[in-house]
Amino acid sequence: MAITTESLPPPGWGLEGSAAASLLEAFPRGQLSEIVGPRSAGGSSLVTGLLAHATAAGELAALVDGADAFDPAGAAAAGAALRSLFWVRAGRRLDHACRAAELLARSGGFAWVVLDLAADPTAPAHRPAPALGPATWIRLQRAVRDTPTRLVVHASRHLAGSAAALVLEVARGSARWAGAPRPTRLEGIGSRVEVVRSRPPSPQPSPWEVAWRL
Amino acid sequence: MAAVRRIGCLLVPRFAAAAAVRAEPVLGGRPLAILDEARPGRLVIEASAEARALGVLPGMTEAAAQARPGVVLCRERVPAQEAAAQQALLEVAVVHSPRVEEAGPGEVYLDAAGLGALFGDEPALARRLAARARIAGLSARVGLAGSRVAARLAARRAEELVCVPPGTDATHLRGAPIALLDLSLEMARRLARWGIRTLGELADLPGRALYERLGPEGARLQALARGEDPRPLDPWRPPPRFEETRELDWALDNLEPLFALFAECADRLCARLEAQALAADRFEWSCRLAARGGETIAGAFVPPVPTREARAVMAVLRATLAAEPPPAAVTALVLRAQPVRVAASQEPLDGEGRPSPRTLAETVARVIALVGPGNLGVPVLLDSHRPGAIRLDPLSATPSPLPSPPEGRGNGGVLTLRRCRPPRPARVRLIGGRPVHLRAEGLAGSIVASAGPWRTSGEWWLDSRWVSDEWDVELADGTLGRLAHDGSTWLLEGIYD
Repeated sequence: MAITTESLPPPGWGLEGSAAASLLEAFPRGQLSEIVGPRSAGGSSLVTGLLAHATAAGELAALVDGADAFDPAGAAAAGAALRSLFWVRAGRRLDHACRAAELLARSGGFAWVVLDLAADPTAPAHRPAPALGPATWIRLQRAVRDTPTRLVVHASRHLAGSAAALVLEVARGSARWAGAPRPTRLEGIGSRVEVVRSRPPSPQPSPWEVAWRL
Repeated sequence: MAAVRRIGCLLVPRFAAAAAVRAEPVLGGRPLAILDEARPGRLVIEASAEARALGVLPGMTEAAAQARPGVVLCRERVPAQEAAAQQALLEVAVVHSPRVEEAGPGEVYLDAAGLGALFGDEPALARRLAARARIAGLSARVGLAGSRVAARLAARRAEELVCVPPGTDATHLRGAPIALLDLSLEMARRLARWGIRTLGELADLPGRALYERLGPEGARLQALARGEDPRPLDPWRPPPRFEETRELDWALDNLEPLFALFAECADRLCARLEAQALAADRFEWSCRLAARGGETIAGAFVPPVPTREARAVMAVLRATLAAEPPPAAVTALVLRAQPVRVAASQEPLDGEGRPSPRTLAETVARVIALVGPGNLGVPVLLDSHRPGAIRLDPLSATPSPLPSPPEGRGNGGVLTLRRCRPPRPARVRLIGGRPVHLRAEGLAGSIVASAGPWRTSGEWWLDSRWVSDEWDVELADGTLGRLAHDGSTWLLEGIYD
């Protein structure tokens, strides 16, 4: 019987090995970090990858979903241990989502708290980012301070201002399709993850070239 | 050598009134008459000590009781409140001894032998029992003796506690009235005809002659009168559910007072759970409405972790009732808890463990108050191919001893779909059976690449059968999405990101 290797990812794909470790270590404990990027750039895949690595290592993570867009099946496929993932569906109320993230971060019991404020999947690309005042980010930053928690905000653009100790920007690469001349299968996308702000300066090499497979 | 038998008796005098005070603490220390609505004329069946001091006695009508000088408060008898108070009294006993017997309303026996190493000497045990009963909202008297009858007598005669020294039960019982033995009517009449009025007189009768005239029952009664009580305790088992209830004389049509009453019930319920080192993994509530013919509305919620924190319970209950208030004024409310024993867990040494159950329960309760129950938890994939088939389970506060095994094939590098919930209707133009243009809410453009269809279907044997042809598409602006066609309608399932 012939064994096809078509579906196996080529070397260097995904959050494997040292790439994953250096990316995970880039996020400081007790600080607010941000992941920003446009639609289909891979920001959500990066968030899912972080959650997968954290929960598979036995850490407890919380995801506050401001757009009700999280796909648990996709996270499980990425290797996440769902029983260690606490999912809060904020019903598109961004103020509630921020408040919930603040409560979870303040409790100090979660290794990761991810606040997903990326726009609704079908929101127009030109729609302005949610109007959350600077006080929101200061409050979140103070909530996570002196805790072992990493608080990560995922949004389509930079929101947290100087409250964020780390800002990672995810840039869209090209989509990979299998089959020629007519595509028969979406294989995945490539992303470029770059540290655009780090306080103190990140010792991790940046940027990372990451490929996400379907 | 035979083991010394020691029996404790917890006795709550005027139990119906005590149960009413427990449910409505403001009644404590005030003249209170309990009425039986079922009897004609609304007769007083019990009166507190303060009401008796005003001359209110059982058997009076409500009107007669109200006519006494001073303000006499009248409350109807509520069997559910009495049941909850009885449970609370039994739970006080069972916390201290593994063998507990329920003797009647407001009366509980416990095996007090061998408890010295745990609670100190007998007076210390009796003081502890009385204190725990006070915490449970009941003013109990405690008697300790070598037999049930002597312990009961001691409790009846006590201001708060009396300990009868071992071997002196017979002396202690001598002057007690014969009625202490709960005689049948016929036996009471017979002994009265003989002029026997105290237990000492019964104990002094010749045993053989008594047996010849009264049979084994006579011998048993004489043994009891001498402080001999060989019958073992009839063990009581805790109920599968804990319940607290509150009946109202007036209908409540405002949420805040209703919350306050539920909070009282939650406090009592959680105190009972704590006394037994239990927590609850499910709470049920119900409200009886004044309108709609006394219809009852009810609900239930599962805390994220088993809890006995009244504040956490109330946070969820507040959010639930505030989101959907009772449609009419409320005349009674009930709060039930399903108890579970929570195993102690070892915190990991590296300090990166889960939050403590208490912290987690409080935090999650506050988040529930924000987003509503049912919108948070641990996602569990259902055994279905239907897209987005999940349920949310409570988060366990107990860490797994081993790292969780990954559930998928991945190493984190999987392209994620951001789902539209619910999927958005879309207009798709086809050429040659392939999508070439998409228009949906917030998204429109030419499709430059597509792959599909990937057909999924399921439950074709049920009315809920479904079928979906999925396409992966790339728009000209680089947006990647997933479309689905169910045979008649195109839907945008989500955006790859």
